[in-house]
Amino acid sequence: MTLRGTIVFSLGVLAALGAGWAGFPRVIYQTHRQPVDFSHQVHADKAGAKCDDCHAFRADGTFAGVPTLDKCSGCHAAAMGSTVAEKNFIDRYVTPGREPEWLVYARQPENVYFSHIAHVKRANLKCEKCHGSQGTTNTLPPFQQDRISGYSRDIWGHAGRPAMTMDACVACHRQSHLEHSCLDCHK
Amino acid sequence: MNNSRRDIFKFAGGAVAGAFFTPAPWRLITDTALWSENWPGIPRPARGEIRAKFTNCALCPAGCAVRARCVGDQPVSLAGVRGGLCPFGLSAHQLPFHPARLKQGPIQEATAAVAKRSPEGIAVLDLNPGRTVSWTYRRAMAALKGLYLAPDSQPAAYDLSAAKTVLGIGAPLLDGWGTPANVIAARQNFRLIQAEAVESRTAVLADEWIPLAPGTERAFAQEILGALKGERPSAAAKQLAADGTSLVLGDAPEIPEINRLLGAYGKTIVAPSEAPVPESWSKSAAAITRLAAVPDRSIRVLLIDESAAASYIPWHLIEPKLTADNPLVVTFAATRGGYARHAQFALPIAVFPELTDDIAPAVDSVHPTFRISVPLVTPLAGLANPADFVGALAGVSASNSLRERADAIHKTGLGSVLTYADGKETPVKDLTPDAFWKSLTSGAKWDRPPGLSACQPATGRPCFGGLSTPSSPAEPLEASPDLNLIAIREPHNPALGSPLMTKLYQESNLRLAPNRVALHPDEARAANLSNGARATLHTRIGWCSVEVTVDPAVPPGAVQVGSSPGIQDVCGPAARAKVVRA
Repeated sequence: MTLRGTIVFSLGVLAALGAGWAGFPRVIYQTHRQPVDFSHQVHADKAGAKCDDCHAFRADGTFAGVPTLDKCSGCHAAAMGSTVAEKNFIDRYVTPGREPEWLVYARQPENVYFSHIAHVKRANLKCEKCHGSQGTTNTLPPFQQDRISGYSRDIWGHAGRPAMTMDACVACHRQSHLEHSCLDCHK
Repeated sequence: MNNSRRDIFKFAGGAVAGAFFTPAPWRLITDTALWSENWPGIPRPARGEIRAKFTNCALCPAGCAVRARCVGDQPVSLAGVRGGLCPFGLSAHQLPFHPARLKQGPIQEATAAVAKRSPEGIAVLDLNPGRTVSWTYRRAMAALKGLYLAPDSQPAAYDLSAAKTVLGIGAPLLDGWGTPANVIAARQNFRLIQAEAVESRTAVLADEWIPLAPGTERAFAQEILGALKGERPSAAAKQLAADGTSLVLGDAPEIPEINRLLGAYGKTIVAPSEAPVPESWSKSAAAITRLAAVPDRSIRVLLIDESAAASYIPWHLIEPKLTADNPLVVTFAATRGGYARHAQFALPIAVFPELTDDIAPAVDSVHPTFRISVPLVTPLAGLANPADFVGALAGVSASNSLRERADAIHKTGLGSVLTYADGKETPVKDLTPDAFWKSLTSGAKWDRPPGLSACQPATGRPCFGGLSTPSSPAEPLEASPDLNLIAIREPHNPALGSPLMTKLYQESNLRLAPNRVALHPDEARAANLSNGARATLHTRIGWCSVEVTVDPAVPPGAVQVGSSPGIQDVCGPAARAKVVRA
């Protein structure tokens, strides 16, 4: 190949690398904002809340997941503080009694069964092991949704957060010598 | 610098090569696979809090206690409480989504048409009598001077736990006869002899199976009766008489007399009892009329309640009772498979588990019970409520009738209520009316301790032990060269079964599909029929289209028929029949 040909070919490679690494994520992911600008840090620091104060287990051991409005309204029946986020939360959700439509970064496919209580209470895993530093952030990151699959980008491990893919589950289980059967997670 | 075509190809080649070092192609491959998880039509499991709700199954009079596992408000699995559930009950949460279900109907038009013609010659046919709604019909018919029609009601209740020997002459004792948990609990204490033409599921599980020639059940009963009277010897009769407390079940007319001679009345056969009703209801209720007692061509307006029908009356027995001049038939049905084929108006009704209704006493319920089927899901919009429809014609309020009956039961202060959630039994006298009602509507059963009263045999009346009563008399077994087979009927199934369970049942050959007939290979060969072939089933009454199953378990000279209304319309028990290739 001539020098000119090599340069043209390299330009093609560079253009693809640029498009693939910088442009493709912008195209493939659709960015949504969470309905409320929620600060985990404020709740942990000022209210002294721990993860399971809000993300609680029910009496039967099932995981409640994202708290519902009645849980928030326990403290936020009226505005606590004067931030814009607080005012929006009260006006848009608490006063009309409307559930915020939270976007869940960790949502798994429907064919996956995951038991929080087995991992938290039995295996004594910290929340951070899977959810990273989410519980200490001051703002919720934008929810980047894959336009084709519909899943959150965070599932694949993103911006320093651990991956929550099947490979990640299997790797951890192997490390802990807990390799069981497919039917443990795929009922 | 001029770019040549070759440069463009080189750039493109570089781009393709470079693309493999980016996440794009790998991401697209993965995404395409994941995309298929979100295609329309792929079931999406409900998400939400997992809770247990309790109710009573309304698919048949057994009324088994049900524990529903719900995610949010959606029941996702059903199980029995203190006992099992039949496969129909286990999959009943899928019934509201049944593809054959009636979802819309001309309720306003039907109301107007009935109002225009009634009240003269009006009648209600209740295929699941003994419920609170049955009392609403009776009150309404009394007010309109109409008729309340019901299939032959159970003349007795059977206490299997008191039996030492049970002889079933064709009765499906272990296959939907009574309350499964009661039957299974009592089973180990009695010897079961099953006499019937096919080795049914009951025959397989019996201690002894007496194979009968098809259509000879009545002759067998006559033989037993003759032997008990000392007219002739019979090993089976000798055994029954020697074994202590014996009970004979079946639909032959001789069976009440056999049971009387065996001394079963007052021991294993007791008078059926019903939960108390408000005094005002019993004073203002129409009598129960048997269809056979209705004069021909006398019914102008017939309202049929097919809700959880425990039996089916062939149309050829109903049709002569309707006036010749444009009679009006309105049916309340979950599917178009039953009387909707003959009715001017088929109005859709709620199905279990979206139904609010109480459950008629089961055949093995020896003391009064009251169980409410509490809805687990919200019914579809646009469904008809038969009680409201009929009640409105006569100005009888039906909206609060379950509560009124619960109050009447509470007023007696008798019995206790068993709540399924905690398994606690609380005497009614310790509860306020509101607390009693709350218990009943959150999954509970009221019953009164047994104070059994003896039941006397009604001469000449069938004392059938099944959940379905014979609705067409057996045809005489005279020689009939044109109809070479004798029909053997499958036990009655609920009108709706989960499509999934129905498929599993039929593919595993556990049940004959409702529109199927089964033939011995020799009979199939003689009629030039193969497995799965389309055919017509002919009897003296008429014919219907069927599909053929070839089954060596069916005796030669017989045809085993499914329990679809289409087949029952033309084929009574032990009817002469033939199957012809379509």
